[in-house]
Amino acid sequence: MINLVFNEITKLLGKRRLLVVTLIMAMLMAVFTYAQAKEIERTRERLGTEDWRTTLQQQIIDTQNRLGSTRISDEWRQTLQIRIAQQQYYLDNDINPAEPGAPTFLRGFIENSVQLLLPLMVMVIAADLVSSEKSLGTIKLLLTRPVKRWRILLSKYITLILAVSFIIFIFGLLGYLISGLVFGYKGWMAPVISGFVVQGGELDTASTFIIPQWQYLLMAFGLAWFVSIVVGTLSFLLSVLVRSTAAGMGIMLAALISGTILSNMVSSWEAAKYLFMVNLNITSYLTGQSPPIEGMTLGFSVTILTIWAAVALFLSFFVFTRQDVY
Amino acid sequence: MNNNMNKEITLSVQGLRKTIGKKEIIHGIDFELHRGEVFGFLGPNGAGKTTTIRMLVGLIQPTAGTIEICGYDLKKNFTEAMENLGCIVENPELYPYLSGWENLQLFANMLPKIGIERMNEVVELVGLQQRINDKVQTYSLGMRQRLGIAQALLGRPKVLILDEPTNGLDPSGIREMRQFIRFLAEQEGLSVFVSSHLLSEIQLMCDRVAIISKGQVLQVGEVRELLGQQERLLWKLSPLEKGTAILEKHTEVTVTEEGQVITAYVDGHQTGLWIQQLVEAGVMVQEMNRQVPTLEDLFLHITGGETID
Amino acid sequence: MVKVRQVQAFALFAAVLSIFWFIGLLLTMQGYIGSTMPVMTPIAIDEHSKEEKSAIQKDTLAVLALGDSLTRGTGDSTGKGYVGHLIDDLRQGSDQNVSIHNLAINGQRSDQLAQQIQQADVQRTIQGADLIVLTIGGNDLFRRGETLLNFDMNAIDGYREAYIQNLNFILSEIRKHNNEATIFYLGLYNPFINLGDSETTSKVIREWNYESAEALALYDHTVFVPTFDLFQLNVNQYLYSDQFHPNSEGYRIMADRLTSLLTNAR
Repeated sequence: MINLVFNEITKLLGKRRLLVVTLIMAMLMAVFTYAQAKEIERTRERLGTEDWRTTLQQQIIDTQNRLGSTRISDEWRQTLQIRIAQQQYYLDNDINPAEPGAPTFLRGFIENSVQLLLPLMVMVIAADLVSSEKSLGTIKLLLTRPVKRWRILLSKYITLILAVSFIIFIFGLLGYLISGLVFGYKGWMAPVISGFVVQGGELDTASTFIIPQWQYLLMAFGLAWFVSIVVGTLSFLLSVLVRSTAAGMGIMLAALISGTILSNMVSSWEAAKYLFMVNLNITSYLTGQSPPIEGMTLGFSVTILTIWAAVALFLSFFVFTRQDVY
Repeated sequence: MNNNMNKEITLSVQGLRKTIGKKEIIHGIDFELHRGEVFGFLGPNGAGKTTTIRMLVGLIQPTAGTIEICGYDLKKNFTEAMENLGCIVENPELYPYLSGWENLQLFANMLPKIGIERMNEVVELVGLQQRINDKVQTYSLGMRQRLGIAQALLGRPKVLILDEPTNGLDPSGIREMRQFIRFLAEQEGLSVFVSSHLLSEIQLMCDRVAIISKGQVLQVGEVRELLGQQERLLWKLSPLEKGTAILEKHTEVTVTEEGQVITAYVDGHQTGLWIQQLVEAGVMVQEMNRQVPTLEDLFLHITGGETID
Repeated sequence: MVKVRQVQAFALFAAVLSIFWFIGLLLTMQGYIGSTMPVMTPIAIDEHSKEEKSAIQKDTLAVLALGDSLTRGTGDSTGKGYVGHLIDDLRQGSDQNVSIHNLAINGQRSDQLAQQIQQADVQRTIQGADLIVLTIGGNDLFRRGETLLNFDMNAIDGYREAYIQNLNFILSEIRKHNNEATIFYLGLYNPFINLGDSETTSKVIREWNYESAEALALYDHTVFVPTFDLFQLNVNQYLYSDQFHPNSEGYRIMADRLTSLLTNAR
């Protein structure tokens, strides 16, 4: 088996897809770092101070003023109210929610990437794993070896997991190195409040806890890794079912994007919470944002995603071991 | 090569059927391969050649029937069966972004106990030493074909299945390939299964041939034997009527429009007697040819007019 | 060319990473589902950030803006409001660093401001302020237009009494935390001066402003800044399309008045 995995890694590295993914991420990091730096600079200019308390206070007031507007939807109002409550909580506990530094940037970035960017990167790898063999025709060579088909597929799946772990690592490393150039490399020990629970549109701070930022990051990356594995598994299934990589990617892309759209508009469609794409924004449970659909919790999302992945994995093996190859 | 070796069965196919949807496309195919022989597989497009080959190498599951490779059932003992089989299905599609050596490394990893020595051996065998470290995407078709053969031979298989091995090669490449296949069968004792649409190829390199049409094997036999049935003698006689009359006493005679007389081929002694009689009766034998038919003729004869292409 | 060593190194490294991320996932699941995380006990507050803050404030003019939509700048298409214009003027006028803290909330009434001002962080901000600008009372009086629809002098008197009480509380609270900073209170103008019955409305507003000025006078370093006169003539030129808030021009002239007062003060 280990030899088979080595084979798959050889192909993966030979194809240079990881390199492409790394480059894309590096470019995006640079862009976002620049944007973030600009934003901070602008705030500083506007407020004339670097004191985070001032900034946070100002943010709260600004949000309160938005709440006063009659034109905003109820869901958005709720989201804003929760945000205010959270910021106020940080302020009351005298903890800076955005201690300047690369780790903080990373924290914000992973929270924003978990729903679309990371799944996309993973998809680029996963959607290609089986279907490229089909379109290249090499599947005929692969399946005429004295190796059972399930072992071949398993070696590919293990490679996928390794690649996902690697992508998440590169994501963190690049984010840290690139943003650190601007924001500095300190801040691993900065305290972060986690454990907010949103219930009935209200922020419940009863079970919050303070953890150092590095631990928070480890948790967030763990979740991002999990989401990426799930998305990877689904892409993997498509890769088994579809002959062309492009078609597989297209289908997955549509699902992912529909997920981000749905998350913003399904609050009244209860059953949508069983769709995998609505559950992808999983780090939002760490930060305590209101979930897209009332009643969704971290446990719920993890369970739903696990079920989707398990079914996809089963189908992949079921189909692959029986498929006629023409 | 002795007779005993010749009888050892390396690949046996029995009652092979394949149904896709509701349509049966392979209606029960049987044949056997012996050690050290080159076996031709001949049929027009759409006859089921490709489907059959893919069933032989495990890419398609047969609906019914058994395939045994060196005594191992392909379905029940896939791994053991495949250890004895090397194949190229259609074009040798390799990983273009890897070098030839890396490609071989991948295949070696999937075989039990194949080391660098064996890899070097096959590379040398197909003559790719110079370019083995170049990326496959820079290879010509002929080189890819060789690398394909190298990977097929890597595991020291007893059966080699080649789908259209001379496809796309230039004339000298075709000749080389033919010699190579003969070499593998005669010197290395492999059973080589070759499908080809080039009839002359089959004729030149195969010991036995199976003729397939519409999902059925029409005939299996030694190439020489099958051809023998179709051998003819062509005569040019003067005067024509008198000569024809004499020959008609011994055999069936056909006269062509050009005035050529065609009889079945008989052994040399018999032919000598006929000539003697003709000469004694004052018929001049201007010309006499022994005609070996092409497989095309044979195929036309067996299928009753269906052409290969 | 992909080397065998490279492949093996990658596999090993990625396998270690997989375990690492899995631990992260477990940690999260444990924290949320098993809830074994210690419940929050505020720890590790960086002391240095406070020091930093006071260091910054030594050479910075800290402006604090409190109140309602006027201070927020509602109606100004540039989004600045009189506070924004004022800050621009201040920054242009000197090399000194100017920080601005605008805590005004749209639609805020005096009782709400009285509450806001009791928040710990607002108080902290008041402490650090060098200059406080304030508008309040407009919403107490006009009640989103209700007052005009059911014009009732008795009700207005009631509003004013409550308001003056709140204003007193607000000013005393500010003074409690900061008795250095000058407080500039901007009075009300009459946005309805061009409408019928302007005599009555103007009278009400003049009285309101008078009482406010009287209340203000009870505290040191307070300045009542009238705006009534600014909007008295050509009111339409200075009003936003809602016919209530000033437009960009309106805020500009309010800021001009403040700026001139400030340059005198310094």
